[in-house]
Amino acid sequence: MAVSWVERVASFLRSPSRFLASTTSEVFLVELLREQRDERVTYDVKLTMLSPLCEHPTLLCPSACTGEETCLELMSVFSHCPPKYTEFRCQLLLTLTTVLVSTGCVSAHSHASRDFLELLLKLAQDTYYDPADLPSAPRSTRAAACECLRELEACCPGLLSQHLELLNGLRQQENPRHHQALSGLYAVVLRNGVHLLARQAGAGPEGLKALLGGNAAVAWEAEPESPAQMDRVAPLPSVLGPSGLGPTLQTGPDCKELRSVLSSLLEESYLLTPLSQAALLHALTEVVAMVSGVSPAIFKAQLLRLLGTSKVCLFHCTLLMKAAFTDSLFSAEDEAFLLKRLVALCQHPQMSPAAQLFYTDCLVHFPENRPIGAADGGEALPVLFTRRLAACLVPTVFDEPATMLARLNVSALVHLEEHGAREEEGGGAAGGGLAYLWDHLLLRLLHVVEHGGDRAGVVTFFRASFLFLCHFGHVARYAADLRRRLCALYLRHSRLAPHVLNLADRAQDGAVRPGWAVALLRSLQGAAVSAGVDPGAVSQEDLRWHLRVLARVAEEGQIGQGGTVDFLFAVATSASPASRNEDWRLGSDLLAVCRHLLAHPGLDALLCPLADVLQHVARHHGDTDVRDHARLYYSLLTTLSREKLAGVLANGGGGANGGRQDNKRALSAMVVESQDLTSALTIHKARAPVFHLVAKDRAGGWAESTPAPEDDDEAAAAAGTDPGAAGADVLSSYRSQLLSSASAAEISLAYELRHLDAAGPAGFDRLFSLRLHFEPSAGRFAAPADVCVPRLFREGASAPPPAVTLTLRPRAPYPGTLRCSAVFTAQDELTWHAALPDVRVAFRQLFKPLPVPASWGPALRLRAFEGLWDEFCDGGDGEGGGRTDASPDRASSLFCGRLGEAELEALLEEHFAPFRVADPGDATGHRVLLFLPPRSHVLLRIRPQEDAVQFHVATDNWRLLPHVNDFLLSITDWEARNGVDS
Amino acid sequence: MSIRAVWIITHEKGEHVSVRFSRRFPTVEYRAKSLAGSSYQAVPEDSAVLQLLLTELGLADPGKPYVAQRDDCLNQQRTPALELHVDSSAKGILWPVLVISRGPLILACLPLVEAGEPRPPLSSLLSVSQGLTLLEGLQSFLGGSEIKTDGDGLAPRLALMPSVLQQVCPLGTPLDVPQARAPSTAGVPAAAGSPRQPAWRTGQHRGRPAVNVALTETVRCMQYGDPSKQDLWDVYGTVTCKCDVEGVLPNVTVTLALPPNGSPLQDILAHPCVTSLDSSILNASSVDDGDGSAFSGPYKFPFCPPLEPFKLCSYTSQVPVPPILGSYQLKQQQEVNHLRVSVNLKLHESVKNTFEYCEARLPFFNRVQMSTVDVKVSSGHLDVNKEKNLLVWVLGQKFPKSREVTMEGGIRFSGQLPGPVDPLCTDLTAYIKLYFKVPDLTLSGCSVDQHSVQVYSCAKPKIVTCRALQSKEYFIWNSTGPAPVSSGQMIL
Repeated sequence: MAVSWVERVASFLRSPSRFLASTTSEVFLVELLREQRDERVTYDVKLTMLSPLCEHPTLLCPSACTGEETCLELMSVFSHCPPKYTEFRCQLLLTLTTVLVSTGCVSAHSHASRDFLELLLKLAQDTYYDPADLPSAPRSTRAAACECLRELEACCPGLLSQHLELLNGLRQQENPRHHQALSGLYAVVLRNGVHLLARQAGAGPEGLKALLGGNAAVAWEAEPESPAQMDRVAPLPSVLGPSGLGPTLQTGPDCKELRSVLSSLLEESYLLTPLSQAALLHALTEVVAMVSGVSPAIFKAQLLRLLGTSKVCLFHCTLLMKAAFTDSLFSAEDEAFLLKRLVALCQHPQMSPAAQLFYTDCLVHFPENRPIGAADGGEALPVLFTRRLAACLVPTVFDEPATMLARLNVSALVHLEEHGAREEEGGGAAGGGLAYLWDHLLLRLLHVVEHGGDRAGVVTFFRASFLFLCHFGHVARYAADLRRRLCALYLRHSRLAPHVLNLADRAQDGAVRPGWAVALLRSLQGAAVSAGVDPGAVSQEDLRWHLRVLARVAEEGQIGQGGTVDFLFAVATSASPASRNEDWRLGSDLLAVCRHLLAHPGLDALLCPLADVLQHVARHHGDTDVRDHARLYYSLLTTLSREKLAGVLANGGGGANGGRQDNKRALSAMVVESQDLTSALTIHKARAPVFHLVAKDRAGGWAESTPAPEDDDEAAAAAGTDPGAAGADVLSSYRSQLLSSASAAEISLAYELRHLDAAGPAGFDRLFSLRLHFEPSAGRFAAPADVCVPRLFREGASAPPPAVTLTLRPRAPYPGTLRCSAVFTAQDELTWHAALPDVRVAFRQLFKPLPVPASWGPALRLRAFEGLWDEFCDGGDGEGGGRTDASPDRASSLFCGRLGEAELEALLEEHFAPFRVADPGDATGHRVLLFLPPRSHVLLRIRPQEDAVQFHVATDNWRLLPHVNDFLLSITDWEARNGVDS
Repeated sequence: MSIRAVWIITHEKGEHVSVRFSRRFPTVEYRAKSLAGSSYQAVPEDSAVLQLLLTELGLADPGKPYVAQRDDCLNQQRTPALELHVDSSAKGILWPVLVISRGPLILACLPLVEAGEPRPPLSSLLSVSQGLTLLEGLQSFLGGSEIKTDGDGLAPRLALMPSVLQQVCPLGTPLDVPQARAPSTAGVPAAAGSPRQPAWRTGQHRGRPAVNVALTETVRCMQYGDPSKQDLWDVYGTVTCKCDVEGVLPNVTVTLALPPNGSPLQDILAHPCVTSLDSSILNASSVDDGDGSAFSGPYKFPFCPPLEPFKLCSYTSQVPVPPILGSYQLKQQQEVNHLRVSVNLKLHESVKNTFEYCEARLPFFNRVQMSTVDVKVSSGHLDVNKEKNLLVWVLGQKFPKSREVTMEGGIRFSGQLPGPVDPLCTDLTAYIKLYFKVPDLTLSGCSVDQHSVQVYSCAKPKIVTCRALQSKEYFIWNSTGPAPVSSGQMIL
């Protein structure tokens, strides 16, 4: 049991959605809570079982109400847990906090949160010294309670503002163990209190004094209805954001209390672990930033210690203080010192690579006292960052890729300025730094790529190249050299084509001086075309890369495509090797180039040679598909004007302006890219239902009365019965023809298919070839056949919505649901799969008239009714003895409804018209015969009494009685309501 | 200042990837949702996070040479924080996901951003440096860099993670980093009424008092033997302490001293337990040319020691000469696969000639196996590794009296199997890497005198100090081939 629980919890945590697919969250929650109460379960296992609640509280407690109940339950578990299970008790407190906060229960109206807060405050004040509370043992309950209080305060700011004095007292108590937890808690409550105060208009020193001296006994108990405390405030953002400081509290110079509290916190801050210390210092920085009366100099005493620290979070704190206080805490000398220190840390051998990267990022966002540029949060180097400092951060090939890129960025920023200055001086020559980056970094990285560098090396080179281009794309010498070298690289290693094209795309997207990408593509075209002088000598693989490069080049209207067409002709007509002519992939790549050429603005000049290529492929290629497409392109080329052709192809993702990112497809683009092809062949899943089935007539609709087909008569005849003959047993002839009639066991339901709402997800307005698939629940019906609908348009006002007739074959005469889904083609020509809302088949929709041949007249029907009635009402008393075919489930019942004469007539007309059996001999009574497929009957004799109507019910299936009862209740109720309303 | 989730992932060179541990903090998530407003992106399930992380780290689909999402040159991973694109919309981004990846272990966490739109710079978020500190702490707890995925160490440590996180990061706000070792059993809690106890010193030492101070200097070097390229070397030192002393808040002072004329210690970083630092100690920096004031000690570090061993401080130093000066010449003979090797190593006279070990390794990349090695060494002996692509010249404990050793000879490569590939070391680009350790020596001259260690406590502790010099990345490049440069000095 225990093991299985540990496994179940693990499987839940691995994938909650998969786990909950096999059970429900309610059940799982109940089980978890039950086990918590089970005394046979060990506390280790109970501890594990808290983790689902601790990590996914909103999945298990979707509503505040469940959250509240769960918390009450867990609190009772806490009260019963012996104190020695400290770890479990701590985890329980953490879980409670998590559930309360996540389910939004923290409020005065919640018993659970009131009780829990009271418990936490009690635990936080508990100075009882537990000898079992060894340092090696997990943290004590008291520290956990402080953490819970801190988190509650962080999530609901101001929650504990009233308790600052109490918390301050606890913090200064002479118990050394929980100093850190209490200091951290105090700092957060103080920070939130000051923040909320500063946001109030007109708050001043009195408010601050009241805040610091606030000492309500226990939250909510004194003033349970106090709205101020319970107004749930959203978590407060940091006031040290880049967008300037947050609200400030005008207090004047008199903040003695606050200053003394801050000093005492700061004095003892070094006793905290670095992480807690950083959090404390940050909170206090925020407080001082908000209170104008306290000078930032209060931090001065801590600065040296923080500047000398080896811990990332502590040094970072100093930088944040610098950003908050600038020259009111850091002089110009301090700034220079801090910067040097930061640069040293960026490359200190004792710093981890991640820390070095972080420091490098801090460097390009250095908080200067007097920033002159990049106030928008962009990257810029501080003015004091000299070339000497920059030399320490020069990137080398020995660096890890991320470090190298970060340093390249810094160096580029430095040399960009330097280069700019030189150009202004008219020198024009690139600086030594730029030359270094080129010679010793980029060319080295290129060397690595050329000599079999691994994938990471290749990616790094292209990223570095892109970064270099972004900064120095305007330096013609290097930009041109890089272009030449990339071309040469491509010629030697054509497998790198995707990387080169990616670089060209990104460069063209705007970051690099315009024209570079086109120049690169032009060079690549030259390289590829020159390789194709002898296509036979080029490997199949290389040839395909060349074709892909040329396809990309053909997207550029500015690049002449004569060479490309010659290349294509050479490839298409090249005889060797023979297998090449059979290759579908190669053929499609070739056609992809042709396709882009068809859309090229310079097409007129290419007309004849391109037609030659297409004609050759259409005639001689070994693959039928390729031949067909070539023929299509050939006819497009030769019959359409250039404008029309461009129009046709524009849909297909061609075009010179960034068409490569366009994912539109057209039928003529089937072979453009294999990725598109895959996408076209995949069934995509729609996230939400798009359309639904609406019953065609009111209230779920009657089953369409299926007129008994002619062959039923023949069947009846074949069965050798002629019910018309006097004295013939009507019932047995009815039964025998029922057996042979297939349509009797079916019901047909009429629906319309409509979009779910007026404006749904885009792209689903016009749908085609819809195939609806139904899956009955709980075996109530035989699986119905799929239904096909040719089209569904949203602008349905002009055209009626498509009708769907659903033929169901019930297995039992009870209501049920059908799960429904559809596969269809949307406007984007992709195939989609979407679920529809379930279709409910109501009880009344199962009703059919007596399934007898049309030849049966009213008299015969009446006879059948009477016969059935007698049979069903004979009861199980055995007196009706001899009948062997009497159903053992037969039953009769009586239902009374308060209806007037007229109302009854209306009801009969509305609900029972097709099922009535007329009896000329009985003017006051009404007979209704309901047949429910597959073979059940409900007979009603309706007789008006003085002020009510009696419905005598007889059936051969007593299980139907509750449904009949509900149905009658609903229609008579409805009638009654209707009566009242009118 | 909190984190939303932590993940621990293992892999073997990008394969057999799995999330071995994860923990989410729903209360922090609640805050994230409220603070981010419409730009909020929930954390997906582990399997989805894993896939996204692998893509960003370039580890997804190791078999495919190019995957657009993975290899796009626009993804400039220049910060320790990644963006995970949960869905294709511009909003569905998880940021900043901090990742530390070392060997088979990938640790990741998602810090809370306490600001709305627009996205603040990474450097303005304290939660980022806190997240990094926590991840580094978890990494060293899990075994640092020596960890193996299926080794003995990892599984039991991973099993401890739930309870470890309950202590160091109970509700998503990191309080501490886990201690790699169980706290000393000698520790007993302080009684109520005693002075404030540091949160990092969870108890008191009981037993024989002792203070151990170890000073280790590491030297890195790049020698080119080429006048156009500047040789480079640097030295950094670390002082490690283990202090078993009594008291709730004991006070220990360690003093580092330099010899007369010693160049000042630079870039000093101190452990947070150091109670105060003198500004003169921090002034010297390797990144500028010095202010000439040339404070050269003594460097005093007063501190209250934690119970476990810790790194008291570290520094860098600029020394005038490298301990071993070498030259390496590799010449192509007429025969294609025949190389002439000539190596000369010279131990500087200021360096003590007593090594714990000293060896020179000559790897040969991008070539087939060595067939004949006809090389003579003036001292020590020569080994060829099993794969026949590496020469190991074991110099042993001492250089000869002349302090100079040489290696001369020829090597033929005509084996059957190709050797290892290094795209950097093609043709005649080659290096020697030196591995050595010299006990009782520092290049900077820095030392910790046993008598300068002051301990303010009732019992007089036994004080042990030691020092050593070791090499790391000590390269001597072949001067006849083009060698990669690794310094910005030449820019100046």
